[in-house]
Amino acid sequence: MDEDLLTSTVDLAQKLGAEYAEARLHKIKTTGCLLRNGVPEPATIGDAYGIGIRVICSGSLAFSATNDLSRENVKVILEKAVKRAKASSSLLEHRILFSEEKTISADWRAKEKKSIENVGFEDLFGMLKNIEYQIKDGRAGVAFPNRLLASTTLLEEKMYMNSDGARIRSRVPRLGFYSYITTSYQGKTVTITIPSGYSQLGESGGWEVVDRLKIYEYVQKKAENLALVVKNDQRPPKETVDVVLGPDVSGIIAHESAGHPGEADRILGREAAQAGESYLKSDDIGLKIGSEEAYVSDDPTIPHSNGFYLYDDEGVPARKRRLIEAGVIREFLHNKSTAYEFGVSSNGASRSTSYDREPIIRMANTFVEPGDYSLEELLEDIRLGVYIKSFMEWNIDDKRFNQRYVGLEAYMIEKGEIKGMVRNPILEITTPKLWSSVDARGKEVEFVAATCGKGDPMQGAPVWTGGPDMRLRAIRVGAR
Amino acid sequence: MEIIELTDLALREALKLGATDVSAICAKNNENQIRFSNNSITVTKNIKSLELFLYVAKDRKRMIGVTSNPSAEGIKRFASDLIKACKVISPSPEYTPLPKGEFSYPLHGIYDKKLAEDGVKLIEFAKEAVDAGLEAGATRVSGSLMASEEEIAILTSGDARGKDKTTKILLNVRAFTDEGTSGHGLSCAARLTDFNPSEAGRVAGDYAKVSINPHPWEEGICDLVTMPTVTADVVQHIGSFSSAFTVDAGLSFLIDKVDQKVGVDEFTLRDYGVVEGGLGGRGFDDEGVPTRENIIIEKGVLKGYLHNSTTARKFGKSSTGNAGIIEPNPWNLVVDPGTMSVDDIIKEVKRGILVTNNWYTRFQNMRTGEYSTIPRDAAFLIENGKIKHPVVGLRISDSIPRQLASILGISKERRWIEWWEVSIPTLAPTMLIKDVTITKALR
Repeated sequence: MDEDLLTSTVDLAQKLGAEYAEARLHKIKTTGCLLRNGVPEPATIGDAYGIGIRVICSGSLAFSATNDLSRENVKVILEKAVKRAKASSSLLEHRILFSEEKTISADWRAKEKKSIENVGFEDLFGMLKNIEYQIKDGRAGVAFPNRLLASTTLLEEKMYMNSDGARIRSRVPRLGFYSYITTSYQGKTVTITIPSGYSQLGESGGWEVVDRLKIYEYVQKKAENLALVVKNDQRPPKETVDVVLGPDVSGIIAHESAGHPGEADRILGREAAQAGESYLKSDDIGLKIGSEEAYVSDDPTIPHSNGFYLYDDEGVPARKRRLIEAGVIREFLHNKSTAYEFGVSSNGASRSTSYDREPIIRMANTFVEPGDYSLEELLEDIRLGVYIKSFMEWNIDDKRFNQRYVGLEAYMIEKGEIKGMVRNPILEITTPKLWSSVDARGKEVEFVAATCGKGDPMQGAPVWTGGPDMRLRAIRVGAR
Repeated sequence: MEIIELTDLALREALKLGATDVSAICAKNNENQIRFSNNSITVTKNIKSLELFLYVAKDRKRMIGVTSNPSAEGIKRFASDLIKACKVISPSPEYTPLPKGEFSYPLHGIYDKKLAEDGVKLIEFAKEAVDAGLEAGATRVSGSLMASEEEIAILTSGDARGKDKTTKILLNVRAFTDEGTSGHGLSCAARLTDFNPSEAGRVAGDYAKVSINPHPWEEGICDLVTMPTVTADVVQHIGSFSSAFTVDAGLSFLIDKVDQKVGVDEFTLRDYGVVEGGLGGRGFDDEGVPTRENIIIEKGVLKGYLHNSTTARKFGKSSTGNAGIIEPNPWNLVVDPGTMSVDDIIKEVKRGILVTNNWYTRFQNMRTGEYSTIPRDAAFLIENGKIKHPVVGLRISDSIPRQLASILGISKERRWIEWWEVSIPTLAPTMLIKDVTITKALR
């Protein structure tokens, strides 16, 4: 990567009158394999490399990007960015200012034992063929007539520089797996995903991720449990009951109803026209929205995580953010612009997914913090309840207040014990009611990988969602 | 080098390295965007890219690549990487040779030079939208405005050779009142003459204002009026589920439904590569096959799936010009107009809900089409043919097959929709759907 190009770009931006300038060389190499009913689809290679530039002139922000890295072209797009920023004043009611942050010079890498660059298509297809062999005959009398299995690698390399003096290089490899499976039993058909909820198994790292995630064992176990979903017609109870949510469900809830509403750019209205705003207001730090047992954090620094990073795309060190503690809103996710507005320091949440996307506030690895209960202890005093272990359909309104999660693998709880399966229980609930109903959390946190959508043009950011088993008291679960 | 020369270089290089099938597509994009919120500009953007898409097959082994380094050296290296990868992957029993030309491609006028210029007056347009929203009664207006140009060229080993060029301008406006209500407006066009930022801003502002003091909605079953933005969201999913790949992967409620009734007589859905007034698209697909009009559903009967040459061979059909090498996709979806005005549709409703916008559509079971989606912005109770008052806090929880069979009315008026939530350009009417399940959250 051409460091001189970044230096000359940032220098020239300042000469042209920019109060602030940054430039980022961003390279993403991807490979992907898809096996459909044992038949290989064309394998894919992606190779995206270019430069993204941001300048602030007269309080106005402009972003330009190109994959033509010739000096002349980069100079032209920079000059146009400065010109655009200056010309924006007729619709600029609010000057954009950045918080002052410590100047960082760093070169960091996500750990990797077996280099992602040495993972070949034979490895990726080999993994899929093994899984295909594992599951193609179905389970427990349930046929799997359609199986779509996917494996991916990604290598993200960046070099970043800004006019405050930050200089950062980074390298993050990632590996992932996801699948769609049709299950069929006595004429009834249900589509499922492994992992559930259209998520993925994924981490940062090299080929060792396959062993670390125990992908074969995971798929084997999930296939056995999820096969039974199609056999089940038991309706969920109509009365109010206690509910235990599995890690997949507590994880998506942490992401959707604690992480997203805590993004400061949404709170300030910057994403209003697309991803939406937030039920939280700027002065809601300290607001009680849940029980003493509601704890949610976001932490980009978890080793091996899918959302792993050490410095964000504004050159700010990453750290753990405690979003909700004992039911109280403790911290929002910030970039340097929102940090300035709130009079705080940035907590390093600004990320861009490609050279041609502006950095915006993103979650990394968002999770419900563990408690001190075993699953047996969570269940033991439940007379009648439902254990929603995983989900498929979900959605939440654009203020992150009214949400719904529809169970996939779910069981009745009777007198403290897990009984037979129950079909598609629906948790449809407001955010305060949800977090206020939590009364206990399990000891073990589990994560799955996901792609979080935000921004315009859209940016799909790699994240983890996670949590422990989590108990909610006195909840209504509907049925489809 | 011109994009056609880059595709030529890629084609020749891949053939020289032993590929039996090659499709080389080079696309040059120029996007200018303004985003604004709280009546103020938040960022201006310019994104320029030149990318090469390359499909190669050798010994029935198939690879696809996309590179953002289409220099002469970069192309040679990329073609070599793809051919080398062919050595380690398995041949596909479903390998199908690329279709052979010569092809001729439809001419169209989906291009406006003014939208391709850097000086396009986006700031003025954004200001018009903001001012109109405020004038209509909103206190905050947010949105995004994107003008884009795409120039694209294809060369294939099947003697396909084509070039195309399109522009479009998309404005998405959301207006808010101090009472916390919101309204949504869109203006989507291929030419500046069809673009109306003031109207989009005014509609958003009007909806926000008339939504003040919404009533909570009780769950249950009622009739639903979907305005074009909501109709388009449902229709884009029908379009995607009609892809033969999705069908073959077992992930569609349209499996085994060809020539069967899947909707009411009044519902006809077409797809066009390019269509007058449409938003982009192309004259050729990724295999070089000319795009065309395809009828997906005609008078409620599923006529067929969208195909590339691989799925077509498997299904015993011809390509419909919708490749995607892996997955055929719709280009521009068009619902035929109905016979009613929007006012007539509202008059038909004894008790129901009118929804102006929605987001976050997710499926519980793709084989049954069971899904839910959340209305956002303005929604209204209709009683005895009249809009009564705004409502809030509802969720549509239904299945698409049931809805298709329960359409009671389709409007004559239609709008082109493309925005953050509807990525496939869709010409959509207002529709009246009977007996839709509406749910609400436990508070």
